Amino acid sequence: MKRIQDGIPGKLIAWMLLFCAVFMGASCGLKALQAAPYLGGESYQDTGQFRNLLREYRNQIAEAFALDQELEQADLTYVERQQIMERMQQLEQSLDPSATNFRFVVRSAGGKVVTSNLEEGTILADQVQEINYAFFILGEFFTSDAGEAYAAESSIPPGLSENTTSPGKTSQEKTVYTVECGVPSMDQLGTVQDDFAQISYRYYQTNYCFSQWLIIAGVCLAAAAAALFFILWAAGHKAGIEGIVSTWQESIFFDLYLMVMVIAGTALFALGWYLLGFFYSYVVERPQLEPEYGWLSAAVAAVCVLFAAVIALTLRTLAVRLKAHTLARTTLLCRVLVWLWRRLVQAGRWVLELIRSLPFLWKTVAGFLAYFLCNTVLFNEARYNALAGAVWWLLNLAVLLLLCWWAMGFRKLRRGSQAIAAGNLSHQIDTHHMPHNLRCHADDLNNISLGMAEAVGEQMKSERFKAELITNVSHDLKTPLTSIINYVDLLKTTGQTDPKALEYIEVLDRKSQRLKKLTEDLVEASKASTGVLSVNREKIGMAQLIDQALGEWTEKLEDRKLTVVTALPEGETWVYADGRHLWRVIDNLLSNCAKYAMEGTRVYLDLNRGHGQVTLSVKNISREPLNVPPEQLMERFVRGEESRTTEGSGLGLSIARSLTELQGGTFDLTVDGDLFKAIVSLPQAN
Amino acid sequence: MTHTILICDDDRDIVSALDIYLTSEGYQTVKAYNGREALRAVEQNDIHLILMDIMMPELDGIRTTAKLREDNNIPIILLTAKSEDADKILGLNIGADDYITKPFNPLEVIARVKSQLRRYTSLGGAEKGPGLLSVGPIAMDDGAKQVTVDGAPVSLTPIEYNILKLLLSHPGQVFSSAQIYEQVWNDPAYGSENTVAVHIRHLREKIEINPAEPRYLKVVWGLGYKMEKE
Repeated sequence: MKRIQDGIPGKLIAWMLLFCAVFMGASCGLKALQAAPYLGGESYQDTGQFRNLLREYRNQIAEAFALDQELEQADLTYVERQQIMERMQQLEQSLDPSATNFRFVVRSAGGKVVTSNLEEGTILADQVQEINYAFFILGEFFTSDAGEAYAAESSIPPGLSENTTSPGKTSQEKTVYTVECGVPSMDQLGTVQDDFAQISYRYYQTNYCFSQWLIIAGVCLAAAAAALFFILWAAGHKAGIEGIVSTWQESIFFDLYLMVMVIAGTALFALGWYLLGFFYSYVVERPQLEPEYGWLSAAVAAVCVLFAAVIALTLRTLAVRLKAHTLARTTLLCRVLVWLWRRLVQAGRWVLELIRSLPFLWKTVAGFLAYFLCNTVLFNEARYNALAGAVWWLLNLAVLLLLCWWAMGFRKLRRGSQAIAAGNLSHQIDTHHMPHNLRCHADDLNNISLGMAEAVGEQMKSERFKAELITNVSHDLKTPLTSIINYVDLLKTTGQTDPKALEYIEVLDRKSQRLKKLTEDLVEASKASTGVLSVNREKIGMAQLIDQALGEWTEKLEDRKLTVVTALPEGETWVYADGRHLWRVIDNLLSNCAKYAMEGTRVYLDLNRGHGQVTLSVKNISREPLNVPPEQLMERFVRGEESRTTEGSGLGLSIARSLTELQGGTFDLTVDGDLFKAIVSLPQAN
Repeated sequence: MTHTILICDDDRDIVSALDIYLTSEGYQTVKAYNGREALRAVEQNDIHLILMDIMMPELDGIRTTAKLREDNNIPIILLTAKSEDADKILGLNIGADDYITKPFNPLEVIARVKSQLRRYTSLGGAEKGPGLLSVGPIAMDDGAKQVTVDGAPVSLTPIEYNILKLLLSHPGQVFSSAQIYEQVWNDPAYGSENTVAVHIRHLREKIEINPAEPRYLKVVWGLGYKMEKE
């Protein structure tokens, strides 16, 4: 397939085939055209040619009668008489039965036979296929058709009697003759080779061959189309070269090429049309026996071939350009348009850039002034001009739409910044269809939120990493700690009596217990602050929880001589929280009281609800002066006193705050003199 | 009869400390330092209880437990430095009977060992009957008004007894302080139910080995108390 497409012989054959097919097709078409007038009817006598010829012969009879009448006039010169005689002789020869198949009978007005070229004893009806009736007026050179009916009556045609044969005029002056004439049918035609015989022959040939000519012409056209298709298919392919090969023809601009080809095509078409007209008048309409005008049909076919060549060449180069995708590039008009478009875009960009680089304030002022000017002018104009009125409306509508566009963009921006401000750092403002200035602003905001989200993510990651580290270290600490605690315990059972040794053992015991507490708190604090703890929030009764917590702590607090005063609202107060975590919060707060509250004071537990919030405050009087601000108290490892001798780890408040925040609540501390107050707020549940 | 206990931990000091405690309590011990050795020791000796660490080289405690449980029902107590709930639940689901978090109190270890051994050796435990209530090691004979934990009698005050009876007869159900007060005191609760919490704490101290980390009488924070279903 590829080889056929690439090969030169195939292309040559295709071109030859195209030309031959077009030539033959055109020739056959002309033959068919030539035959077309003979088509139709039941016999050759129905054709126009036959009628024309019959009329010619009829007129010869009328002419002969007219000449005969002229001869009777006495005042003719000899030359004139000779000329008339000569013509008479010609006519007689032409109408002689031996020279023609034309048969006729001329009758006078009375129905009497005046003359005839029939043989003796024969009648016209037997001789001819169809009798043609006509009449002529003596002295005139032509006949007129007459109907069969009145001819049979052998009377003067009705029209004639009224118009030309007026009463009072003698019939001698206007003698009317009736002509009955005809030609034998095709089978009965004699051996005489006259025009009738020719027409008959042509008719026979035509009826026999017309369809053949047409079929051949059709086949030739199909072959030409196939050849053209092959040419287009193979165009641009060359043996040994991949892709599409352009020839010198493709280096000409396509529109110029097309223009030349259209001119050539038009010229060829005109020439062809002229020749065809010539052909039609000489060959088709008036069938001349000699010469055949063969050269004429050849010329028309040749013009057709040239025309086909023009079309094929144009299509071929178009096909090559389309295949190589170079049509637009090799079209002058396209290039010019592209160039113009680029200039236009450049200019548009330049103008846009200019507008953009203007300060925003200037733009606003300039825009408003332009609008104001247009508005004023149009408004004044609108009083006289309806069109200006319509434009005024449209202008104001456009300005309104512009303002709406701005307002919508602004609203989007506002919502986006609200979302980001509320902490949703993953929020990205949709900058589609936003005015330029707003879009710049929105992009900046998006970048800020992205950067912040990244920073927060980084921080979270590092916090989590820290928590993991602390957990792992704590695990590793626990194993040796277990041994220390156990062996200290075992040491106690060894029956030491040395008071010093017993004291040392006691220190070891205390410190190892403290170490145990510290590692546990450390893990919990790091977990709580990094949020790796799972939180199962459910409906929790605060009064119940406080009751349970006090149940755990009452005795320890009483040991410290602390009195707990609770103030709870009527009924149960529900919150959404994780019971275990919330217990740890209250546990830590009460533990704090037990550790740091001054002995003999009261501890106040107040529970309040309202505005969707539940607050629990724990107040106590510190034993030591609180010389650190409350913010610092919540920091890890910070305790109410400087000496670190007491049992606390300094993580309790930090853990309490982290756990409260994990549950969606807030944790606040206030210090007023020695009054220490912790407030836990949680969302209320219904 | 002396019981043989397998101690398995990769830290030799912990193993010998445990060995000292258990030997002083009159138990025989077998030592192992990783999961494989533990499996071998179980094959070679008549072991009645296993104390096993979770984080060990070669074969960790969870896998070893799973392997042992394929054809054995020796009580297993896991020792773990991991204090997360998920690890405990995994250990218990895989077939361990109890767990102790490191650093542990030697007394707690002894108590849990005793408890497990009593449950393992007392065949069938307390038989069920009218007036007999039990959850885990806690058994109550309502007729005799007697409560035992692992067979050892516990003395309770009447209020503690009644609270325990209420919770034991509805294992798994959470009772708020007010409900408990109304049922036990037969009085409507008018804010005087905070005594319930104190009673429950005392009760917990009497029947739980580690009252700070109860296994049976649990505090459901913010809702009430319940007896764990077995």
